[in-house]
Amino acid sequence: MSKDRREPNELVERLAQAEAALDALRRGEVDLVVGPDALRVVRLKPLVEENERLAREWRTTFDAVKDAIFVLDADQRILRCNRAAEKLFERPGEELLGKHCWEIVHGTAEPIPECPILRMRQSLQRETMDLSIGDRWFEVEVDPILDAKNRLTGAVNIISDITERKKAEKERAVLHEQLQQAQKLESIGRLAGGVAHDFNNILSVILGYGDILLGKLHQQDPMRDEVREIVTAGRRAEALIRQLLAFSRKQTLQPQVLDLNEQVRNLEKMLRRLIGEDIALDLALAEDLPPVLFDPGQLDQVIINLAVNSRDAMPKGGKLLIETSAVELDKAYAAAHTGASPGEYVLLAVTDTGCGMDKETAEKIFEPFFTTKEKGKGTGLGLSTVYGIVKQSGGNIWVYSEPGKGTTFKIYLPQTEEKQKTREKIVASQEISGGEHILVVEDEESVRNLIKSALTRLGYSVTLAANGGEALLLVEEKGLKPDLVITDVVMPNMGGKELIDRLRRTYPGLGALFMSGYTDNAIVHHGVLDQDTPFIQKPFTLQELGRKVHEVLASKPS
Amino acid sequence: MSDKSTQSPAGRASGAPFYRLRLFVAGDEPNSVQARHVLTRLCEAHLGGRCAIEIVDVCEDFHAAIEHGIYLVPALKVESPPPARTIVGSLSDEAKVLHALGIAGKGVEP
Ligand SMILES: Nc1ncnc2c1ncn2[C@@H]1O[C@H](COP(=O)(O)OP(=O)(O)O)[C@@H](O)[C@H]1O
Ligand SMILES: [Mg+2]
Repeated sequence: MSKDRREPNELVERLAQAEAALDALRRGEVDLVVGPDALRVVRLKPLVEENERLAREWRTTFDAVKDAIFVLDADQRILRCNRAAEKLFERPGEELLGKHCWEIVHGTAEPIPECPILRMRQSLQRETMDLSIGDRWFEVEVDPILDAKNRLTGAVNIISDITERKKAEKERAVLHEQLQQAQKLESIGRLAGGVAHDFNNILSVILGYGDILLGKLHQQDPMRDEVREIVTAGRRAEALIRQLLAFSRKQTLQPQVLDLNEQVRNLEKMLRRLIGEDIALDLALAEDLPPVLFDPGQLDQVIINLAVNSRDAMPKGGKLLIETSAVELDKAYAAAHTGASPGEYVLLAVTDTGCGMDKETAEKIFEPFFTTKEKGKGTGLGLSTVYGIVKQSGGNIWVYSEPGKGTTFKIYLPQTEEKQKTREKIVASQEISGGEHILVVEDEESVRNLIKSALTRLGYSVTLAANGGEALLLVEEKGLKPDLVITDVVMPNMGGKELIDRLRRTYPGLGALFMSGYTDNAIVHHGVLDQDTPFIQKPFTLQELGRKVHEVLASKPS
Repeated sequence: MSDKSTQSPAGRASGAPFYRLRLFVAGDEPNSVQARHVLTRLCEAHLGGRCAIEIVDVCEDFHAAIEHGIYLVPALKVESPPPARTIVGSLSDEAKVLHALGIAGKGVEP
């Protein structure tokens, strides 16, 4: 019996010893473990300390990370979370621990179908997904925690805020779209401009001879009607070509220092007539508006085109608002708008309360011949003209529109330092020739001959030259002394401006009249004729030519 | 503390047992150094020299540890008076050590 009683005692004793040994081990009070055949020098206490140090280090690191981190068990319960996670989900750690991650992250009662952890269970690799919470974007990244046998025991779940990146990506996409849009318009413009240029010369001939023919036909001649039809059709073609040239930025502009407000006010009456009584016109013009450098006729065209579109967008009436203001565009704005550069601008904004347009439409409105209007109502050239004029003048145009709400066009024009000149009134003139001698320099033979026959009919004596070199030869070598030189602006070898500069070395006060239907990019860039230079846009009627020639000769100091 | 001093060896000098102690250490490892210190101090304070302490450096004499059934170091083996017992660790819990030696014993506990 005594043996039976002793045995449990001994067992208890041994267990107590084992427990004490374990205790000492846990407290790190053991330096060495003696194995059956060797010493295992286990510096346990340093190990414990090292462990604690590592744990502290790890916790600090864990909390220092800006991304929210959850350590999950195999059932996706939160075992640990860092400070960023507490902050992101606005709850103290104790409230997060033990909860399923979906409860905290998505607020759902079960995992969401796209949950990357579901995928990770299969792949046993890192899986990710993008997630939006409120107005911010996050990237969720899960990494499996595997045991020695490659079984999943948990996961590390990292949630990073990628709102800024998403925003930048979106901005890049918008910029890319803008750029593509601009490039597309550019290439259409080149094509249109090329065609328009050749067309212009042909039209000049058709219209010119049409006019001459009309002049020669007797008032009662039955052929007059047919000829007039030809001329009328030619005029329509001319109007079209003018718009194409505007779009392709190949018009010759005569910019002046302008007060935008004055320009708008001058148009006000005609705009009211244009838009009708059902649409209210409001002007909000900023005081002390800095001047801009712009061709006044073109500016009118821009405003009228926009107003007409707004009218068409408000068949049942509405409001049309024209605003001006001085604005400064900063680097951020320029970075977000293709083609814009930072600086001081004058803003012209035209807003209507019309039908607006969707994104697909808005992307195409500046393309020539794009119209949503029925045949005969729209040509699709209005906005492409506006676009070309604004761009050629160094400005930018943007459209903001919402279907059903309305549309705003914003045009930014660079401010100018130049002072406004008081425009001289041109004395009304009578087109009677005093038999002056005119040298016509034009590389296109048919146009050359047309001008000659027109001017001859008006009583001028005319000499022709096919290019700048020929003109120089006539004046400098042959001693020709014309009263006026009419020259094309763009010619091979020597441009019109260069020619006149040369000729004025021989005859300083020599009168000059420039004509062009087209200027190439180089000319647009630095050769835009200054505002006082006499200029006539091709194609022109013979009357226009006569008037202009008379005007130049009359203003010439003699 | 006054309790303790009444039960001190000086208080019952005649019947006081003689202690044979064997301390197993591992060179100059920190726990071993501490155990040596504590034991020396306790003997002086409570045993009044009525003890023989043998210090075994396991790093030098590995077999001694095995012979005595010692597998964690440092460890103090009380060989007499019986029953034989072993205390593992750096002896930092002095009360426990005294209890094991049968000195502070029951006087402290209640
Ligand atoms: N203010 C506006 N509101 C709604 N849509 C507009 C507006 N301005 C232009 N649009 C759209 O842009 C298209 C092109 O305009 P535009 O180039 O002026 O040609 P058109 O007026 O001949 O159609 C229009 O057909 C219309 O769909
Ligand atoms: Mg239009």
